[in-house]
Amino acid sequence: MFLGFSCLAMGWIWGLAFAPEDAIQGNSYRIIFLHVPASIMAQLIYFFMSICALMHLVWRVKLAAYLIKSAAPVGVLITFIALFSGSIWGIPTWGTWWQWDARITSTLILFIMYLGIITLHSSFSNAEKADRLMSILVVVGVVNIPIIKKSVDWWSTLHQPASISISDGASIDPSMLYPLTISIFGMALTMIALGILVSKLYILTREKNKKWVQSHV
Amino acid sequence: MINFFSLEAFKLRHKLRAWLGPLLIMILVLIAFPLSIDISQYDLNKFYFSVIVVSLLMISFLATESIFSEDYEDGSLEQIHLEEKDFYKITLAKILVHVLFIGIPMALIGSIFSFANGVSLAEAPKIFVILSISTLILFNVFAFGSALSINKGSMLGVVASLPLALPAIVLLGRGVRTVQYGQGFFEVSVLMAGVALIVTALMPIIISATLKTHLE
Repeated sequence: MFLGFSCLAMGWIWGLAFAPEDAIQGNSYRIIFLHVPASIMAQLIYFFMSICALMHLVWRVKLAAYLIKSAAPVGVLITFIALFSGSIWGIPTWGTWWQWDARITSTLILFIMYLGIITLHSSFSNAEKADRLMSILVVVGVVNIPIIKKSVDWWSTLHQPASISISDGASIDPSMLYPLTISIFGMALTMIALGILVSKLYILTREKNKKWVQSHV
Repeated sequence: MINFFSLEAFKLRHKLRAWLGPLLIMILVLIAFPLSIDISQYDLNKFYFSVIVVSLLMISFLATESIFSEDYEDGSLEQIHLEEKDFYKITLAKILVHVLFIGIPMALIGSIFSFANGVSLAEAPKIFVILSISTLILFNVFAFGSALSINKGSMLGVVASLPLALPAIVLLGRGVRTVQYGQGFFEVSVLMAGVALIVTALMPIIISATLKTHLE
């Protein structure tokens, strides 16, 4: 957690105070140091959940279901941050808080998906059944991830295409790229730490009647 | 497969409320909307499609709300599970019967109402094709939602499956636009048919697994 916060702080201070102004967007572009890491994490967390869901469905790994249940609230939080920061960025660049654009709408669907997963799990008193149903929903919902990723290419949208790509490299200046990379790395570490913390609490709650928990607590 | 299909068709045909109810509600919604808004016919024609699309979405959900619940409550699903019959075929038959009895008439109603709101007679069949394919996708998705929330009320089904239906709505919207602007209809309808085929092939497998989880 400390390492994550440190990287985030470093990336943000570098990005906000030392990175140069953008030629077109001016200072408003600096929100990317929050928006881009949050958006990447929102998708990665869901992707991680879908891998866990597969593990739970195929090999019946109990821990995988616990991780999905713990990652979902973290996913809600980070997707909300992605949507909210994007909305703030929309005002100076597009002149509107919200646009029914493919990328934004598909991210909103992801947000609702996270909420749906949490609601579904909490509706069943039989936790094992809830775990399996939640896993099925997570696996089916993964179809939304490539839609979000490719939405800016498949539809003509207001949202700009990706500035950093594995195949094509980065199209932004290194003076902006380095703090952005550090912010993404910091956000990833923070999310992992947060996820571990939530999972720990959840496992203790779920296994509260087991002897090892009673001796641990 | 034909046996399952005939049985499901027989069951649905005798549940008048289950298939006639959604169709009547769709008609009422499509009639009520123009009455509730005071705009010119020209303006109404421009966005009446949206009303058809949204009502199709909501009525599809309503039509599949109890697709499995009755069989679950009277123990039929449990019996099928114990007899180790093919859940996939039963699920597929149920969805296809619902599409045939409710989805296709809904598409027909939608195309008739679009014809009454500015679409030419030549273009109304195109609307029918697009709406029919959409109902196939939507019925599959909402049947999944219904299977997830089989004994937990319909709200949970909506929350769980509506996000999955929204990409289908985006496709439907694009299909409708091709009819409005008179180009690209074939490409979009083929794309939608492809998506519908994939969804129809895969969704019954997922629904079967979901139902088995409820029965275990």
